[in-house]
Amino acid sequence: MNNGGARRMNGGGEEDDDEDYVNGDLDAWERTYTDERSWESLQEDESGLLRPIDNKALYHSQYRRRLRSLSSTATAARIQKGLIRYLYLVIDLSRAASETDFRPSRIVVIAKHVEAFIREFFDQNPLSQVGLLTIKDGVAQCLTDLGGSPESHIKALMNKLECSGDSSLQNALDLVDGYLNQIPSYGHREVLILYSALSTCDPGDIMETIQKCKKSKIRCSVIGLAAEMFICKHLCQETGGTYSVALDESHFKELILEHAPPPPAIAEFATANLIKMGFPQRAAEGSISICSCHKEAKVGAGYTCPRCKARVCELPTECCICGLTLVSSPHLARSYHHLFPIAPFDEVPPFSLNDPNHKLQRNCFGCQQSLLNPGNKPGLLVVCPKCKGYFCLDCDIYIHESLHNCPGCDSFRHSKADKE
Amino acid sequence: MKFQIEDVTVYFPYDHIYPEQYSYMIELKRALDAKGHCLLEMPTGTGKTIALLSLITSYSLSKPQSPIKLIYCTRTVHEMEKTLAELKLLHNYQIKHLGPQARILAIGLSSRKNLCVNPTVLAAENRDSVDAGCRKLTASWVRAMAAENPNVPTCQFFENYEKAASAAVLPPGVYTLQDLRAFGKEKGWCPYFLARHMVQFANVVVYSYQYLLDPKVAGIISKEMQKESVVVFDEAHNIDNVCIEALSVSVRRQTLEGATRNLNRISQEIDSRKNLFHKLGPKPTYAVGLFHGRFKATDASRLRSEYNRLVEGLALRGNLPITDTWLSNPALPDDILKEAVPGNIRRAEHFLHVLRRLVQYLRGRLETDNVEKESPVGFVASISSHAGIDQKTLKFCYDRLHSLMLTLEITDTDEFLHIQTICDFATLIGTYARGFSIIIEPFDERMPHIPDPVLQLSCHDASLAIKPVFDRFQSVVITSGTLSPIDLYPRLLNFHPVVSRSFTMSLTRDCICPMVLTRGSDQLPVSTKFDMRSDPGVVRNYGKLLLEMVSVVPDGIVCFFVSYSYMDGIINTWNDSGILKEIMQHKLVFIETQDVVETTLALDNYRRACDCGRGAVFFSVARGKVAEGIDFDRHYGRLVIMFGVPFQYTLSKILLARLEYLRDTFQIKEGDFLTFDALRQAAQCVGRVIRSKADYGMMIFADKRYSRHDKRSKLPSWILSHLRDANLNLSTDMALHIAREFLRKMAQPYDKTGGSDRKTLLSQEDLEKMGDGSVHEMLY
Repeated sequence: MNNGGARRMNGGGEEDDDEDYVNGDLDAWERTYTDERSWESLQEDESGLLRPIDNKALYHSQYRRRLRSLSSTATAARIQKGLIRYLYLVIDLSRAASETDFRPSRIVVIAKHVEAFIREFFDQNPLSQVGLLTIKDGVAQCLTDLGGSPESHIKALMNKLECSGDSSLQNALDLVDGYLNQIPSYGHREVLILYSALSTCDPGDIMETIQKCKKSKIRCSVIGLAAEMFICKHLCQETGGTYSVALDESHFKELILEHAPPPPAIAEFATANLIKMGFPQRAAEGSISICSCHKEAKVGAGYTCPRCKARVCELPTECCICGLTLVSSPHLARSYHHLFPIAPFDEVPPFSLNDPNHKLQRNCFGCQQSLLNPGNKPGLLVVCPKCKGYFCLDCDIYIHESLHNCPGCDSFRHSKADKE
Repeated sequence: MKFQIEDVTVYFPYDHIYPEQYSYMIELKRALDAKGHCLLEMPTGTGKTIALLSLITSYSLSKPQSPIKLIYCTRTVHEMEKTLAELKLLHNYQIKHLGPQARILAIGLSSRKNLCVNPTVLAAENRDSVDAGCRKLTASWVRAMAAENPNVPTCQFFENYEKAASAAVLPPGVYTLQDLRAFGKEKGWCPYFLARHMVQFANVVVYSYQYLLDPKVAGIISKEMQKESVVVFDEAHNIDNVCIEALSVSVRRQTLEGATRNLNRISQEIDSRKNLFHKLGPKPTYAVGLFHGRFKATDASRLRSEYNRLVEGLALRGNLPITDTWLSNPALPDDILKEAVPGNIRRAEHFLHVLRRLVQYLRGRLETDNVEKESPVGFVASISSHAGIDQKTLKFCYDRLHSLMLTLEITDTDEFLHIQTICDFATLIGTYARGFSIIIEPFDERMPHIPDPVLQLSCHDASLAIKPVFDRFQSVVITSGTLSPIDLYPRLLNFHPVVSRSFTMSLTRDCICPMVLTRGSDQLPVSTKFDMRSDPGVVRNYGKLLLEMVSVVPDGIVCFFVSYSYMDGIINTWNDSGILKEIMQHKLVFIETQDVVETTLALDNYRRACDCGRGAVFFSVARGKVAEGIDFDRHYGRLVIMFGVPFQYTLSKILLARLEYLRDTFQIKEGDFLTFDALRQAAQCVGRVIRSKADYGMMIFADKRYSRHDKRSKLPSWILSHLRDANLNLSTDMALHIAREFLRKMAQPYDKTGGSDRKTLLSQEDLEKMGDGSVHEMLY
């Protein structure tokens, strides 16, 4: 993964000169090594011994790039976001998905990362629901209905991975449009299409379908696996989604995970309104009740709807009896941080550390590890723009991806509150 | 933005400029300073037109004491409109910065078909009938008749224009053809004649090549242009062919039959008028008779006065009213004799006899069974001995016919095209002894069983037609996206450029990916060489190549074949072997045919298939209509495959004669010229896919001959600079791999302004910061 990223970053500069003359005579396996030039990242220490390859800096810079691109679209603080998302994931199972330019084949790679995505998605958007759709032989089929359980989706998908026939974007969009039209207005309607094919065989005028999707405010995003297609680009532009094409497997993973955090809400659609929600109690261990979702008696480990007292197995969901949205309070809390993201930390140029005037912090504010590399050379570090605390790279990633709070700012605020 | 190039302040309507545009302007400015001709190659999509326009207009503004006129020649009406639209943008910008002193008059000029606003005339379907329709309403005698008889229809737009006389002028500004029509409609003036009148006063004139190169038209339209003009030929890679076509004539059986019919009608006309004059003339009895009689009387006297005029020489023709001249002599102005018409054709009847004998003679020559090739001198001698027409008489045929038709007041000129062709032929053959040859072919070589005799007078020397342009005007700029090898054009056109340069494109990313494919997936070489082209292995490999490509390339693919017959053959074979069917699973297939309507329809559907995501392949032919004029930009062409090297049909007699002439006169080797011609066609074809820098596309040259240095080096430098050595000798599977990687790379978002190391957009500050030196460093 790291090497792939490095190649992309160096892409513009050096690749077009001399070494390509050599490429022609090389075998395919040799070429992959020439492209990656992994030996160049080897480093020697003072005594001439090889040092373990420092992937950390590389990995970090890649991560920061992603962070910056995310925050630039969200423009830091107060942007409205759709927290309650209804996402249909459309997986193209046409002939093209069985191609082997991704190893072992496109569909295996897709399935692997869809699984990861679904878990990540529910982790970040506990209030949201996902449904799965497949396109095969020119027909779109619903694999699973909208639901909040990652396991059921993943299980359904893994059973159906045969590819054949043509692909039809229009059929898929029509089907999705039919399903998503019924959901309540506070939910954000989204489609993410994983498209392997390079053409679409449609029964009618796809432009009309695109307009229909636009009208029903469905945000359509496409991840292509082969090349840029005009119609996909058009679809995404019209409906406000994003279109990207995967370079390789790691890039594909990156792209699909970019869809996990909630997108900014569509402006004219984002009227704030109140939603009725229930916070069910977890039933006592060993109590026996009839489960409303599976229609059978179950022992323990269920939740009871506060309004109609029906038993449901999982949260979040909609009560099958009274239709109330059932969530738990940690779900709400976990969604909350998307609304108040922490600003990306600024990178500290190494030379300013040597500046004698500058008051040097020697330890990371987060983990209290020394910020200096072995040999007393200053390593890469970042600084929080608000509290001016210095952090190491690991803490940077941890704070932004998992913690969603800056320890520096929080402790500072607390100490100020104490003084008052 | 505005910036300084040496002593000229250049006004450029955009905030940023490409570095190659900047250096293009510098070179152009040097050529203008030197008052010489120049040859500039810069790839399409780099804003050639705006660079040209803004430099030349700014140059003219900076030297108010000697303003220069810009004559901008385009190939099509569409390009003309685009140029004028850009000029409009530029003009608004200049006015904003300089105030009213920057005002210029810029007009486009096209045929009546494109400018006429009279609905009755415009109803005609082709150009010639619109011209004739106009003449029927505006010829001086028609108007004279209408003055007496109000029932004779005239064109109210033309009448209004005439009435306004000297007041009929266009206020300064930039006028596209549409603007001209709108202006004409609003004022009630004829836009065509208004534009033709204003050409003399305009600062910028945009029109088609023919108005300068074809002596028949140039003599009327471009006679008055001042010497201090800059002539620009845009998209001029085929300028030698345009020059040659302007001086070539072909005569078929239908032409001769038509000419005979024309002659019969002319002689009837002459006879009937004379007879009528004798019968009716002296005794006018009733009103209509009176009118008729007097009309006929003037007829006869007109024939007589024509005779007198001819004695004095044809120079008088300049005095004819503007509407009555429609075409001038096909020979070049310097070669026309300023003397009286020879005695034997001064009388109309005698002239008709001469023409009949000429037609008869040509008919006899067409009846041959063998291919004959003759020099003009020999042909004239043979005419003289068999038909008794000497060279001098031949030379005057065209003018004499013209004069006769005016005298007879014939307005439906579109009916008389055949006899005009014959006279055209006669005049050219009488005027030029060198640089031409006459070739008579009894049948088309590709279809020997169908007799289709044709007599061709073909011009071999492109420099003949363009010579007056080089001589007359201060600077001539020849520019295009593909002028390589750039040193051949001065030799073909016989001139000495002060600047000849080729620019490459500065790109933020490598958005073109040329490849040379020499082998199929089975490692056997592929080529359209004559001995290999029908080899089933080659055909299969080509099919496999396309089949693999349609499965990895999205949206549109364009394929070019070397000829229609080859395309038909290969598609048939693919169809039989089922390859075509497999292709159709991925993409729809559309084919160019020789029928324009069919091709237009196919193109339209091709675009729709690309738009809606179905994907499509377009099969087309190099040198065809599509290869020359249709853009396959963006998703309409992500890949272009050139199957084979598009050599001309080398057994063609005309080509052989031209090659011989080029070798003897300009010392250009046959092979060099053929390769040059084939490669410029190939470059033209593949250049269709890139029309701007934001675009991307792949080009596959599928023939083993492209990997040879002598062929490849003739490609334009902007293609060559992206053709890496690694991509020179590919087989199908390797090409497939490269295509996949390329398409993925291009689909990634990118920074349009370019990184710090590859600056591709310059702002005003950037330009001020650096001297000329750093631009050059950056580009080369």
